[in-house]
Amino acid sequence: MSLKDIIKKSAFVEILQGMSVTGKYFVGDKVTVEYPKEKIVPYPRFRGMHALLTDPATGVLNCCGCHLCETICPSQCIYIDTSEVDNHKSIDRFDIDLSRCIFCGFCEEVCPCAAIVMTKVYELATYDKSEFYLTKETLVANQVNAHKETVRR
Amino acid sequence: MSASDRDTAHPMQDHVHMRKPKPRPTPEELRARKEATRQRVSGSVETITVSMGPQHPSMHGVFQAVLDLDGEVIVNTDARIGNLHRGVEKLAEYRTYHQFIPVTDRLDYISSFAMNHGYCEAVEKLMGVHVPRRARYIRTIAHELCRLSNHILWLGVHIMDFGAQTFFLICFRDREYILDLFEMLCGARLTHSYARIGGVAKDLPEGWEHKCREVVDFLPKRLDEYQRLITQNRIFLKRSVGIGIFTVEDLHTWRVTGPCLRAAGVPRDLRKDEPYAAYDEVEFEVAVEYNSDVYDRFLVRMKEMYESCNIIRQCLDNLPDGEFLAEDAAHVLPLKKNVMRDAAAMVQDFVHVFRGPQVPKGEVYRAVEAPKGEFGVYISSDGGPKPQRLHLATPSFFHGQAVPALFEGEMLADSVGIFGSADIVLGDSDR
Repeated sequence: MSLKDIIKKSAFVEILQGMSVTGKYFVGDKVTVEYPKEKIVPYPRFRGMHALLTDPATGVLNCCGCHLCETICPSQCIYIDTSEVDNHKSIDRFDIDLSRCIFCGFCEEVCPCAAIVMTKVYELATYDKSEFYLTKETLVANQVNAHKETVRR
Repeated sequence: MSASDRDTAHPMQDHVHMRKPKPRPTPEELRARKEATRQRVSGSVETITVSMGPQHPSMHGVFQAVLDLDGEVIVNTDARIGNLHRGVEKLAEYRTYHQFIPVTDRLDYISSFAMNHGYCEAVEKLMGVHVPRRARYIRTIAHELCRLSNHILWLGVHIMDFGAQTFFLICFRDREYILDLFEMLCGARLTHSYARIGGVAKDLPEGWEHKCREVVDFLPKRLDEYQRLITQNRIFLKRSVGIGIFTVEDLHTWRVTGPCLRAAGVPRDLRKDEPYAAYDEVEFEVAVEYNSDVYDRFLVRMKEMYESCNIIRQCLDNLPDGEFLAEDAAHVLPLKKNVMRDAAAMVQDFVHVFRGPQVPKGEVYRAVEAPKGEFGVYISSDGGPKPQRLHLATPSFFHGQAVPALFEGEMLADSVGIFGSADIVLGDSDR
């Protein structure tokens, strides 16, 4: 062991090297946000809580009651009941059990009439488990949170 | 293992500890050393039994290891898995091929896209679907991003096993950039469900390529920073060099694949050996190290991360135009924008959802190089819309069953580091 090596070892060169990286970030900008005060806006494709879109002109549900989303759902969390009124399908029940939902987005993908979409809502924690059960009214009310890109289409 | 056994030759160690370079040990020497520890341990009689896990803070996931200890040396290990068993293979028999894609996310939840990709490659081989070139490039990019995020997370957790708490947060900061890219790409940060049979779910969003290129350009700088923090760190070297040695024969016996195998000098990489997606059109090197210890597994994964950045950059440079999903009415779910406009596509949509794809009879096996090792999917089809039997050969399962052999003759304090170096995710192992 030469003198240079001894100095290197006793001066903890590698520790200082590591600390230089730490020191650089000690004075740098922070990368975190203070969550409850600041909130991150998800990207346009984000798959959050569902919504049912209505026609902006008439206020009628876009849903045609074809049961495609109910069938494709891998976790079977969508429940639809339809009935026929004046040669027209009416949606009696459109419920989503969020506690079963795995947010894969298949329902949105197969929907042939752009009715069910996924929104940017990601704060889903509740004190009451019954709030996970979304009815037609809650889903329609949630359409204000839908991504602008999906509504335009 | 005695102190002299610990000081195996390693160039980096020589550099730091200022010894003269020694030649790398041959597999024979490694085997002899392992045998010597076995001999030493088998002489003792009194052991105590300690249970580590499934809720031990330093265990990765719900893995239980019941250790028989002679003093501080591990004599025997009883590895118990299955705490996270969800019956995924059985679930596949009750879902159409398309519906099973989100379930594959939940196998190795750290690198979901790799699992999606492996499954879809297998189904495409069964159905004979031709994937468009652009889709193959996008898949390659996403797969490598997955590898980056997996290795960065692994690195943080692995170094934390050795006691460095801050480094964990540094790694999570950089992983966030990749998760953001995935969120832009497919809408989810962890459970991507992005691959589809015949391509990918959505095309690259506007501005994504630019953002991805930025991330890929600055990540190597961050990786250099990691290297400065760890590669020559005396504590890390003391605790990783020469520990958890596995000979090539052992690795093959236990079917260990991926970075662990490459750290033993075997240049086995499915991306090179059986190219899938666009890996035959990009140039990259297979990362190989020779000592097969914890430290070399770290080096292999570090090298792989640099290579991943290279591959992504090449793919972005040569990204072709065209379709991102195959136009194959019999096997592929149509695009939403076509369904809204075209009556034939709408019929195709209904047929696919209510009846499923048209699948030929037969059996296939397809494996991809997932970040943790080879991920193989075996599908047996009876011609119906659902698989008759689906079997998953996941890397973590095989790495998990090699754990007793890895632990044998090692110190209790090192066991956590060795376990970490095998890179096991219990969702992947228990299925």
